Amino acid sequence: MTRVLIANRGEIALRVIRACRELGMETIAVYAQGDEDTPHVALADEQYCIGPAPAGLSYLNVQNILTVALEAKADAIHPGYGFLAENPGFAKLCHSLGLVFIGPSPEAIEAMGNKTRARELMEAAGVPVVPGTGPLTDGAEAEAMAAEIGYPIMLKAAAGGGGKGMRLVEEQESLSRALEIARSEGEAAFGDARVYMEKYIQCPRHVEIQVLADNHGNVVHLGERDCSVQRRHQKLLEEAPCPVLTPDLRARMGEAAVRAAKAVNYSGVGTVEFLLDKEGKFYFMEMNTRIQVEHPVTEMITGIDLVKAQLQAAAGEQLAITQEDIEFRGWAIECRINAEDPQRGFRPAPGLIQEWQGPGGPWVRVDGVARSGWQVPPHYDSMIAKIIVWGQDREEAIARMKRALLETRVEGIPTTIPLHLEILASKDFISGNYSTALLGRLLEKGR
Amino acid sequence: MALFRKTKYATLSARPGAHKDIASKCPGCNAIQFKEELEKNLYVCPACDYHFTLTAWQRISITFDENSFEEMDAGLTSLNVLNFPGYEEKLNRARESSGLTEAIITGKGLINGEPALAGIMAPEFMLGSMGAVVGEKIARMLERAGSEGIGAIIFSASGGARMQEGIFALMQMAKTSSALSRLHDRGVVYISVLTNPTTGGVSASFAMLGDINIGEPGALIGFAGPRVIEQTIGQTLPEGFQRSEFLLEHGMLDMVVARKDLKATLSRLLRFHRRGGRE
Repeated sequence: MTRVLIANRGEIALRVIRACRELGMETIAVYAQGDEDTPHVALADEQYCIGPAPAGLSYLNVQNILTVALEAKADAIHPGYGFLAENPGFAKLCHSLGLVFIGPSPEAIEAMGNKTRARELMEAAGVPVVPGTGPLTDGAEAEAMAAEIGYPIMLKAAAGGGGKGMRLVEEQESLSRALEIARSEGEAAFGDARVYMEKYIQCPRHVEIQVLADNHGNVVHLGERDCSVQRRHQKLLEEAPCPVLTPDLRARMGEAAVRAAKAVNYSGVGTVEFLLDKEGKFYFMEMNTRIQVEHPVTEMITGIDLVKAQLQAAAGEQLAITQEDIEFRGWAIECRINAEDPQRGFRPAPGLIQEWQGPGGPWVRVDGVARSGWQVPPHYDSMIAKIIVWGQDREEAIARMKRALLETRVEGIPTTIPLHLEILASKDFISGNYSTALLGRLLEKGR
Repeated sequence: MALFRKTKYATLSARPGAHKDIASKCPGCNAIQFKEELEKNLYVCPACDYHFTLTAWQRISITFDENSFEEMDAGLTSLNVLNFPGYEEKLNRARESSGLTEAIITGKGLINGEPALAGIMAPEFMLGSMGAVVGEKIARMLERAGSEGIGAIIFSASGGARMQEGIFALMQMAKTSSALSRLHDRGVVYISVLTNPTTGGVSASFAMLGDINIGEPGALIGFAGPRVIEQTIGQTLPEGFQRSEFLLEHGMLDMVVARKDLKATLSRLLRFHRRGGRE
């Protein structure tokens, strides 16, 4: 593997190019019109325009990307995250063209991409899943199942999505009425009245385990990341390790994640997401079969370059380390700097960055493409940079992140920096005792 | 400590030319299209609407209701009556590469529930050229349409008469035309679908004799090719010459129907012209 095409843009494209360079691999950038002058294009060894700005015509244009790959004689494609990263059809096409898709097999992507299938596989592999049922036939069955699972429970429309057909039931008295409503909502919204039941996890933490696997069946985990600071399932700030995880729980979650990866013959880097409840019980949520935005916090506490590891695994190299060799040192936090306006409902606020001055100093890392005079395009996601810090302990990491954020100057567009400062100053966050409800509460208070 | 063991080599699954199995370049717009996608789109380029030439069985599968098509006269095969040099070898090669016995498949099937007798020319067999067997199969199919009183459809895709059969091939023009004339006398509808390419003796006989002549978009339809005509008349030909749309404009076709609408159009026409009149 000597020539890698990066089928992505922005900071992750840049991140991949950096890893390739350190491994002595040549890089081929593809870009949409309007992205000509971004760093990922400038830093690559070769660059090709693949279409107009809208992603559907460029970064999602499989034909054009594969044509470039073949014409430019790439031997591997790195999909980054988003766009084509979890598209099994794309991975399959790469394989049939003799290109290495830097990621797991299409079968693994497909298995994890299908919620029902993934759940079945995980149950079979002994990975805990949120207790739940199949479609419910009648009220009596629902009552029996709810008693078994334990209240509160959540009723969900089988064809559901977007919160429609979802009903929280706190006690038995309200079950039959809620079932009726969920059914009729499901019928009205999706033409499907089937409803199933799941245990409702109150104020969970979002804790995910990073796994690393080679093509030879070896899998290790690289500890966890706590991504509980999120707004409507959009992660904003991540830290590693998780402030409430004991070594024992870490080991158990890690083992579960490794089992999950092995169940689908996983290879490369991947993330197994869990919900962690107050009693320390954890439940499989989903597996992300790609590199993740928040991977740097794991890199900071393990000293392992995840993107390089991903490239090496894809090249067929065999893992030389075992679980015992992996050590965690210190604390890392990542803040996502998005061109969004927290004052106006987090609306994306693309526009001209009149001035950008990133932070510096010891143990501060900036992965990003933001710079002065850059017009943030409206076509893609609004993240312009990630600031990552490392500290000997959590306290130092928090103080360092505050320092780094205060050093950062952005003029011209609103960003999430003020919100990050607010989070870092909040009592709940400082205590480490918080859940996915933290940001919601904080925003509520601000209003 | 090294994360990975150093290996001297890694196995890659490079297979030169593999892309030809999964994608083809659209002759209309040069965009690369995946075969899977094309198949879903009835072999029409989603970008520029170019209608790819279909094999006979592809045509059957997109036109007839599932499992409804019954082939007839599959056993008829060509002989080298004129001892034309190399003809047998050519026939054998065509049989091998196409999996067909001749350049047309005839049979009976249902189109949206509407019965039809049909001939589907196979451009993958010697460019769909018409010899004695093609003519005979068409004549038999039309005879049956007449006796059963069921509408007939021929999907043409052909370079013309088969030169290796000389006068016997040319005779098929007359034979198919008289079979059509008898069908006409019996008051049974015949729909001709002219696809890319429909040229030579085929266009000069049954392809142009439909009660209704339908062209597929962009299909080349004509007797002699444009280059021959240009050399003969010493004039530059107008744009779009010999294409379906041009022929429609000049009164040689009744309609040009996109592939996605063709099945519905055919079943509607069959129903409308069903013996015994309208429903």
